Amino acid sequence: MDSLFRNTLGPASWFLLSLIPLALFALYFLKLKRQPLEVPSTYLWHRVIEDLHVNSLWQRLRKSLLLFLQLLLLALAMLALLRPGWQGQALEGQQFIFLIDKSASMSATDTVSGESRLEEAKRRVETLIDQLDSDMTAMIIAFAEQPEVVQEFTDNRRLLREALDRIEPTASRTDLTGALELADGFANPRRLLTEEGEFEVSEQEQVELYIFSDGRFRGVEGFSLGNLQPLYLPIGSFAAQNLAITALNARRGEERPDQQQAFVQVANFGEQPQATVVELYLEDRLIDAVELEVPAGDVASTTFALAEEAAGQLRARLDPPQSFDDTLRLDNEAYAVLEDRRDARVLLVTPGNTTLESALATERANRLAKVEKMAPAEMEKPDYLLQSQSEVYDLIIYDQCVPQVMPLASTLFVGRLPPTDLWKQAEAEPVFGPQIIDWERGHPLLNLIELGNVQIVDTLITKPPLGGGVLVDSTKGPIFAIAPRDRYEDAVLGFEIVGHEEDGTRTYNTDWPRKHSFPTFWLNVLDYFAHESSSAATHNKPDLPVELRINSQEETLTVELPDSQRREVQLERVGRLAFHETGQLGVYKVYSGGQVAKQFAVNLFDREESDVRLRVKQEGEDGVQVVDSLSIGYVDVAAQSPGSPVRRELWKLLLAGALVVLVFEWYIYNRRVYI
Amino acid sequence: MPVDRDSSLLSPELLAQLERLELVTRKVFRGRMKGERRSKRKGQSVEFADFRNYVPGDDLRQLDWNLYARLEKLIVKLFMEEEDLHFYALVDASMSMDFGRPTKLDYAKQLAAALGFIGLIRADRVRIETLGQGVGEKSPILRGRQSVWRLLQHVEAIEPGESISLSEGIKNFCLRNRGRGVVVFISDLMDKGGYESALRYFVSHQVDCFVIQVLSQEELEPDVKGDLKLVDCEDADEAEITVSAPLLSRYQQTLNAFVAGAQDFCTRRGMHYMLANNQLPVEELVAKHLRRRGLVR
Repeated sequence: MDSLFRNTLGPASWFLLSLIPLALFALYFLKLKRQPLEVPSTYLWHRVIEDLHVNSLWQRLRKSLLLFLQLLLLALAMLALLRPGWQGQALEGQQFIFLIDKSASMSATDTVSGESRLEEAKRRVETLIDQLDSDMTAMIIAFAEQPEVVQEFTDNRRLLREALDRIEPTASRTDLTGALELADGFANPRRLLTEEGEFEVSEQEQVELYIFSDGRFRGVEGFSLGNLQPLYLPIGSFAAQNLAITALNARRGEERPDQQQAFVQVANFGEQPQATVVELYLEDRLIDAVELEVPAGDVASTTFALAEEAAGQLRARLDPPQSFDDTLRLDNEAYAVLEDRRDARVLLVTPGNTTLESALATERANRLAKVEKMAPAEMEKPDYLLQSQSEVYDLIIYDQCVPQVMPLASTLFVGRLPPTDLWKQAEAEPVFGPQIIDWERGHPLLNLIELGNVQIVDTLITKPPLGGGVLVDSTKGPIFAIAPRDRYEDAVLGFEIVGHEEDGTRTYNTDWPRKHSFPTFWLNVLDYFAHESSSAATHNKPDLPVELRINSQEETLTVELPDSQRREVQLERVGRLAFHETGQLGVYKVYSGGQVAKQFAVNLFDREESDVRLRVKQEGEDGVQVVDSLSIGYVDVAAQSPGSPVRRELWKLLLAGALVVLVFEWYIYNRRVYI
Repeated sequence: MPVDRDSSLLSPELLAQLERLELVTRKVFRGRMKGERRSKRKGQSVEFADFRNYVPGDDLRQLDWNLYARLEKLIVKLFMEEEDLHFYALVDASMSMDFGRPTKLDYAKQLAAALGFIGLIRADRVRIETLGQGVGEKSPILRGRQSVWRLLQHVEAIEPGESISLSEGIKNFCLRNRGRGVVVFISDLMDKGGYESALRYFVSHQVDCFVIQVLSQEELEPDVKGDLKLVDCEDADEAEITVSAPLLSRYQQTLNAFVAGAQDFCTRRGMHYMLANNQLPVEELVAKHLRRRGLVR
């Protein structure tokens, strides 16, 4: 009853109202005070009346036409008071933007029909499109990590439907902000160019924003809706269960560094503890399978032992029992790449520098690279010459010394300038007492480094050649810079850490070694120059660009996607690959000259996406589960109950109808001779 | 000549027009007195009709002596006889005739006076009666131009208010008047008992009968609206109607059927029928429509 009608009057009012038709009836039957009129003879009239009496019910109805019209009027008024309406996907407004979430969690199959949430959303948008009037325009934006305008504003429903069909599920995370900004850009300008020509959007025009999503993302902050009228239509269910692999990585065991281990973490986003089998494959060969008991709403993890030399694609797969309804299957597989593990080798050429040596000898540093030490005098030896020119080392650190030829490796000079003309532009004499003004905090070398409290006695000014960048700037000029050289990079630290006085005694040139930033800096150095390969362990997210360092001289590389499609990629810089088309989950192979130069894995690993349950707002004592609202800026967009975004009311129509009846009755009353 | 004493009945123009007319009948009746109308009988006019053999008893004055001289046979020469015509105007003076503008009764009286005047001019015997007269109450027989005044006086004296059924009235009329002739019955024929049995008296009476049904404009095209209680002025019968378009059209159908029924009834029985609207001027009715019907010439 309440869904169809909403009572607006109390019982007393209804009682009074119900008296009106009774009174009407009474008046009708009492009123028959006919005007007497004398006629010559009623002879013919009687015959007429008899004829008409014979002539059916309709004549009687016609006689009471006024009564019926009055009753109809009353009935319409009463019906209008009941405010009938239906919970339909009715559209009110002129312009609509349909935001459709196509993120990974929308692939969950917890809808009533058993289709994915995205299909459900598309179906519901389609019903909305069907209801568009001819003067309404709509556009469709699909969003995940990146928003995409699938169809611009148009009133062509066929275009809208076709656009809807084009939306494919993705494996990426959800970012509503981008989609909102895009919608805002379309909704809030005054004029739009569409296919049909220029289209005016007046200032006051509200644009209805329908958000079809499962709400698996955090609220949007700092966004003003402006003319957008948001409606959030949650899709999915509270009870959806899902098991997901939330972590997979391979590393050396802490206890046994000679052994590799694969670490798998499984999360259970359900209400019940769930047992599942985790299988691990290396290059499609089953390595091992483990049964895991995952507590409800918690994670469980396991490790798999791998052989020392194991290399290739690592794939973990969840195999939940048949009885378990795993709504999201995207996150049941995870990928990792085991590199052919070559330890990074770092050569430290130093006349002796305890501080530096100890910074490079920490346990952490050992895990990152194997550091060898050498005196500057040994640079004359053929061994060094051979090794430095044959890419044996990833990084050579020249502390207070300079090689005669630049090696085929990245270098870091401490207190000296590289022996090339490119670096020799500035004054080669040390300057005294520089104060550090600023440093490039975003550069990986200076990651987490605080230099403001570092004092330096004297330093060389390191002016990088063209293409390089200054990393630390001081009152006297740049004192730390980096510049590329072929596929290597040379970094130059202008000041010595430990200096030598004229008499040969050692002095401290800086108090940096006493700061926390010092060991961190050297770890960064190892990490940046030598340990690049292990960056593959960092997670690449779907639809986010991947940047790789490739050992290749070619300018064009081929990337093979997980589904075996191939893409040619033009390199902006030799040795650097930036790849954007990471929509698929799995292992991507980079080919250089027909050889696999690099592999990287793209994984979901996102608890927000894997937790496919609709977010629940706690509702007092009655325990009714209500879908949590979205917060956009300072506005809370309440979730509309499924299938009923708008209640369409009839009462206006009914009152208009009553008015028409009234006019009709008046007309009949005055002109009924002719009816 | 005191003709136009009452100009409300007959205007001088009408009289002048009527003087040129005469009453006609298809039937030839035997008159009472010498008149201007050819009779069945052979008689004494100047117009030759036939010869026939003499039989004893014939008037010797009518023998054709010339023929006797030639043929030695007694041949009687017959002449046409001219006689007068009995003209009766029977006016329905019931209450229902007292409607309309002019009232149907006035219209009927005017019509009766006009026809009577024609009769008087042509030396016919004219008698104007109403339905309500009893068997013994005979109206005077008028004859000759000098009686015009009496005719008008008599017609003028007819008052509405008689309540008698059609058949009763006509029966009385037939009982009163044995003589045959032309009867013009002026009525609205609105009798709840029906007009059929009444008109049959005329048939049996073997008169040349003209039925002129006078209806008022209000009856022909009623201009009414709303919820009404119609009261019959004669018997106070009531009919409640709610006027609507179908009702009115149904009324028209009924009226047309009524008129057509009456016409059909009369035509089948050798009577003449005519519907007169009270808006139609009497002179036009007489000069045009009745002339076409063959009542006047």
